Amino acid sequence: MPVLSWKDAATPGHGAGPPGDDRAAGIGELALRHLDAAYNLGRWLLGNEQDAADAVHDAFLRATASGGSRVDGNPRAWWLAIVRNCCLARLAVHGRERRNVALDQVAAEHGRDAADAVVPPLDEPIEERLEHEQRRALVRHHLARLPPEFREVLLLRELEALSYREIADVLDLPIGTVMSRLARGRAALQKAINPAANEVDDGL
Amino acid sequence: MDCRRSGDVPLYFDGELDPAATREFERHLDDCDECRATLVGLDALRRDVRAAMPRVGAPAALRERLLALAAPARRRHWPAIAAAAAVAFAVGAVATSVWRTREATRDALARDLFASHWRSLAATSPVDVVSSDRHTVKPWFAGKVAQAPLVRDFAADGYALVGGRVDYVGDARVPVLVYRHGQHLIDVFVLGDADAAAVAPTSRRGYTLDPLVLGHQPAAVVSDLDAEELARFAAQLAAAEP
Repeated sequence: MPVLSWKDAATPGHGAGPPGDDRAAGIGELALRHLDAAYNLGRWLLGNEQDAADAVHDAFLRATASGGSRVDGNPRAWWLAIVRNCCLARLAVHGRERRNVALDQVAAEHGRDAADAVVPPLDEPIEERLEHEQRRALVRHHLARLPPEFREVLLLRELEALSYREIADVLDLPIGTVMSRLARGRAALQKAINPAANEVDDGL
Repeated sequence: MDCRRSGDVPLYFDGELDPAATREFERHLDDCDECRATLVGLDALRRDVRAAMPRVGAPAALRERLLALAAPARRRHWPAIAAAAAVAFAVGAVATSVWRTREATRDALARDLFASHWRSLAATSPVDVVSSDRHTVKPWFAGKVAQAPLVRDFAADGYALVGGRVDYVGDARVPVLVYRHGQHLIDVFVLGDADAAAVAPTSRRGYTLDPLVLGHQPAAVVSDLDAEELARFAAQLAAAEP
């Protein structure tokens, strides 16, 4: 069952009176509790922090305005699905091509952040530091080249640690599709970043 | 890759096995080099991805902005004198905030509808089911949306049914019927009552959004038809019988 139920679409969202207020407050809390997840999702879908913040803001308005009448499954997945829809709506308006470069932009920002923010331990030899940064760049490079539908499932699992069920609800896919995309995404990425170890990854 | 349990490795790794199955699989792992190697590979990949794409915290400014929005308007027990003075102000404030919320909902809805239309125009095909036959389109919607829309072809009047698709409006899945009039593609979104109430006539970049009725169902149409063509089309839709 998808979390997003259209059956309740006719239920008025703006509850007047105390029960509606409490529910709206509950949705606000829910959204704030998962704000980091929402923001990161926005960041790697949209490719920059300002758009991510704006999309999360939109999603927040929409989630609270809905009155939560459609939360009938996992609340986090419900909230992240709204965030994702707001991001996709923005992408559609700003141009489809951005979706493909978004990850590269995030990657570039990450690279900068990592270089600026992570002060490497002084005892780590410079070659090792370089090696680590090269490894991260390699992973970002191949991640950006994964088909978007694999990448999305992979990032929701590995970064946001969503369960298969939650990913299925966020993306509105059958759980079997989530599992096969995750397996194929992982296999493709493993193959790309570890070209020597190809035999490890088939069958995943 | 010969172990017949190899398919369980990702399930175990992702915490998708129940406790009993987890314990059982761990016993298997003790004896199976192959599954252990697969597990190590998955773990290395996760570390690689996490190192490459570090998560960041949401900016404090965003959190504060949303906190302010979320602050529930709790009823306060004003002293009687202050209450009288506050009433006029409160009425104004409540009216403003209700108005703002409605406006935000309306904007968000309009953006979704336009975005869906533009996205479909940019896609390889504007429809997920191609058919001018309403007997194909209608069953296609069954199982995808709770209430299948009324599907009619008005080809005889110059508005030919092209097909249908399902899209998101806000967080609801809605059926979209696609018609063609000359070179124009027309999207008809069949909406729930709550969303339909928030549709106001709007135009953006030469496209218009208008509320209308499809038989008895509330709907919204997005197109680049001129006002006269649109009025004719709206009349056709309104007159459609179930």
